[in-house]
This record gives sequence, C-alpha cells and structure tokens, in this order.
Amino acid sequence: MKYSEISILLVDDDEMIRNCICAFLEDEGFMVHQASSGEEALDSIVSINPTVCISDLRLAGMDGESFIRRACRLCPTTAYLLHTGMDYPLSDELRAIGMTPADVLQKPIHELSTLTRRIVAVATAGGRIG
Amino acid sequence: MPLRYAAEQIEQHKKALVDILDTLPSIIVRVDRDGCVDLVNRRFELFSGVSAGNALGMRIVSLIPQFADQLENVGQVIDSQTPMEFDKLLCRKGSQLSYYSLEIYPLKSEGEAMAVIRIDDITEHVRIEEIMAHTEKMITVGGLAAGMAHEINNPLGAIMQNAQNIERRVSSGIPANLKAAGEVGVSLDLVRAYLEKRGIFEFISHIRTAGVRASNIINNMLHFSRRSEPQIESVDLSEMLDRTLELVASDYDMKKLYDFRNIDLVREYAPTMPPVSMVVQEMEQVFMNILKNAAQALSESGKEGTSRITMRTYADHGMAVIEIDDNGPGIDDSIRTRIFEPFFSTKEVGVGTGLGLSVAYAIVTKGHHGSLTVRSKPGQGTCFTIELPAGEELR
Ligand SMILES: Nc1ncnc2c1ncn2[C@@H]1O[C@H](COP(=O)(O)OP(=O)(O)OP(=O)(O)O)[C@@H](O)[C@H]1O
Ligand SMILES: [Mg+2]
Repeated sequence: MKYSEISILLVDDDEMIRNCICAFLEDEGFMVHQASSGEEALDSIVSINPTVCISDLRLAGMDGESFIRRACRLCPTTAYLLHTGMDYPLSDELRAIGMTPADVLQKPIHELSTLTRRIVAVATAGGRIG
Repeated sequence: MPLRYAAEQIEQHKKALVDILDTLPSIIVRVDRDGCVDLVNRRFELFSGVSAGNALGMRIVSLIPQFADQLENVGQVIDSQTPMEFDKLLCRKGSQLSYYSLEIYPLKSEGEAMAVIRIDDITEHVRIEEIMAHTEKMITVGGLAAGMAHEINNPLGAIMQNAQNIERRVSSGIPANLKAAGEVGVSLDLVRAYLEKRGIFEFISHIRTAGVRASNIINNMLHFSRRSEPQIESVDLSEMLDRTLELVASDYDMKKLYDFRNIDLVREYAPTMPPVSMVVQEMEQVFMNILKNAAQALSESGKEGTSRITMRTYADHGMAVIEIDDNGPGIDDSIRTRIFEPFFSTKEVGVGTGLGLSVAYAIVTKGHHGSLTVRSKPGQGTCFTIELPAGEELR
C-alpha cells in the first residue's frame, strides 16, 4: 500500500495544531486536506471523500462528535478518528458506526508515528485501501 | 475458704491484670496526686528505658520529661474528677519525629486519690490523616488542572510535534527535503553537519523530552479529577501485565532516561489466576508508575551484575496478588514511610515530581478496594505488592 493513496481530512480549530499535524502527515506521504470547523468540513467532505477523517472533539461551533455523526452519513466508507485533550468515553452512537476506544487519540500525541500507525490500521481495515 | 487458697487467688488475679496491662499497645502509668509513680506497664519501660522497679516512687515528670507540660495537670484531673486529653503531641527521638496522644483519667478507687495516664503512639494515624488531607487538596487542584488541561494540551502538542517536524525536515530520508535543499542550492549533508556541530539536534531532542515530561505531569494531576465514569472490565492479569510491559518499553520518555532493554524482566505468573475487575487504564498507570520507579532506581544504582525486575502473580485468600520486585538499591526506612505522600521525591527537580506512587496508592486503595504495600532491604532491592479483590464486581 502506498501512503499517497490514503487521503486524510483533518478538522481542528487551532491553526497551530492543523499546521504541525498536516506538515507531519504530508512528510509521511499522505494526501492531506484540512478544515477549521465542523461546518467547513461538512461542506468539503463529499468532494474529498477521505480515507480517514481526524477531528478535534472541542471545536468552535459544532463539536467533533456531532460533526462525525453527520459526516458519516455523507461519507460512510471514511474511517473516523477523534483527537481530544479531554477524558472522553466513546458514545454509543460513535461505537455504532464502528469506532473503538483506540480511535480516540489523546492530545497531546507525544510521538506522531503513533498517529501514522493508527491511520494505516484503519485505512487497511474494512478494505478501504488494499 | 482456706487463707492460702485465697492468697493464691489474689496472686492469680494480680498476674492476670499485669498480663493484660503488658499486652496493651498503650503506655500506662498510675500516679498519685503528687505525680509519683506506683504502677507501670511493659510499654512504659520500653518507652522510658526505666525498669518498673526503678520507676516506682519516682516523679513521672522526671521519667518522661517530654510530656512535662501535660503531666502538670494530674492534680487538677484528680481534684475535678474529669479526664483530660491531649492530641498530636510531637516528640523527637533522634532524627525521628513521632506523634503521641496522652490522656489522664481520675481513678475512683477507695483510699488515696490516684490518676491513670495513658499514652499512645499515633504517628501512623496522623500520617494517614495528612495524606488524606493532601489528597483532598490535590482533588481541588486536579479540578483546576482539568479545566486547564485542554488549554495546555494544544500548545504542548504544538511544541513537541513541531520539534519532531524539525527533526524530520532536516533528515535525509524524506525526498521533499532533498528537493528543497537542491532548489536553494545547499547540501543537506552540510546542513546536518552544521546542526550537529552546534548541538542543535540535542536542543531539539530536549524540547521533545521536556514536552513529554510536562504532559506526563498533567496526566498525573488529571487523575485526581476524572469526571467521566471509568469503564470497569474483567481482565486476565497475565495479558494485562504483558500489555503494560509493552507500553512501558515503548514510552519515549522512558527510553531516554533509562533503558528497559538493559533490564532483565522476569515473569513469574501463576498458571491460573481468577479474572480481576478493574479500570484497565488506571491500573496500567499504577504498574507503569511502579515499573518506571524500579527502572530509575536500577539505572541510578550502578550496581554490579544484572539489573532485574520480577513480576509475580498469585492468588491468596480471594485476592489476586501482584508483586513487582527489583534488585536495585532499596529504600531506607526513613524514606520508605514517606514514599506514598504526594510530592515526596528523592529525585532531582525535573526528573521526579513525587506523584507516581501517591497516584498509584489512590487508584489501588480508593478505586479498586485493594492494597499497595512495599518492603525493601537497603542494598538488595524493593518489592511492591498490590492486592486486588479477585473475581467479584467492583463497587
Ligand atoms: N523501586 C524503588 N527503588 C528505590 N526507591 C524507590 C523505588 N520506588 C520508589 N522509590 C522512592 O520513592 C520516591 C517516590 O516515588 P514516586 O513515584 O511517588 O515519585 P518520583 O518517582 O520521585 O516522581 P514521579 O513518579 O512523579 O516522576 C522516589 O523518589 C524514590 O525515592
Ligand atoms: Mg515515580
């Protein structure tokens, strides 16, 4: 599998975080898109149809959980990851769309290669990418 | 009743009374109105260093002068026929500080007016009270920290992750780096040589390590304020311990400060163990904190021979017991009594915050109805023992 076949949509309202995580993911060779809010991401997600979507939980406006609930209706084959600084138990709704506790990434991620590993794991699971 | 028999009986009763007095954990003395001793028990002899024979008739104040202030009240207690209590009296014996409680009771026997003095060592009790008070404070602080954590996590993430980005963008492994270097007409190798020569790689690595450290401190603080319902699972201990060992070995901070690869990790798991109910993340933190301490102690000791940590499990009277045993430098008695206190650390500032074991203690005892104890032989090693109720449901 080539990383360049994996497209990622990163949703975070903190520009600093978007900037550094996107830089890392681009260096890894992924195809990276970003959005600064859930609303903005919903506008673009259909045309991007990302392999993986990573969303912050606490966003200005719509929160990450409601964003994912709506996004997964638009792009049901996308794998969703939550990125949060809070102690967040996964809701039943998100479990129902196939998310597991391992899909909740605790901020701050100490070593970004753990993010790569998770992305690759969810991208290959369910035959999203061969 | 023949007289001889009666005398025997009295003697037997007397002996029984003395036995009782000597068995009690308290120091007991009977004095007259002038404070002169007419009866002491074994504890008193041990405490004062004066034998019963020598103590009789002496003034109590001269035998245990550290309690002189309180003992002055003997006369008043007898006159008013109301007892007096003194709590948390601090006494120093050599370098050791101990707390005592002292009570004076009027004795309502016929004849001469007397008083009984009872003194108890309550050091352990006071210490636990202090730890609890400290924990309460930590919970409040933790509440604040929880509010701040989200705000801090983003900038902290940016610091650590951008440091990682910098490392990567000057590495030769990424094609885009070579391309950009080519475009501006510099050689990436020379750039790297310069950065190396000026110690810049080391600075970057220190930024990352410092960020990880700060983040770990915040995580430990947060433990005291977890608001969401923790998820309780029934787990297989051997599997759980193995996973924790993996986590420990892959922690970035740990790799830097001490190397688990130089430590012989021995597993002595009981072949069959009952399942244990626990909040996995919390217990993982307990084992990690203890393992991390052991690894730190082993790397500091610089002892000859192999460094070894043994993880042992067995079942005992309905409890699942886990021992984490290291052959490091051990802990002196004076330090051992304090290691579970929040913020108690013998490590350098920046290396230890002294939260590791207090967090572990709170998780095991409060959250899991278990116990966490330590025994240590200075020079030979330290063994932490965790007992958790086996099988049954938590809460
Ligand atoms: N296995 C051990 N061998 C020797 N000393 C130990 C061991 N475990 C703990 N200690 C002692 O107990 C003290 C308290 O440990 P604790 O984990 O609470 O704090 P710390 O390790 O100093 O800091 P932190 O865990 O917050 O980084 C340590 O500073 C150390 O002196
Ligand atoms: Mg520690």
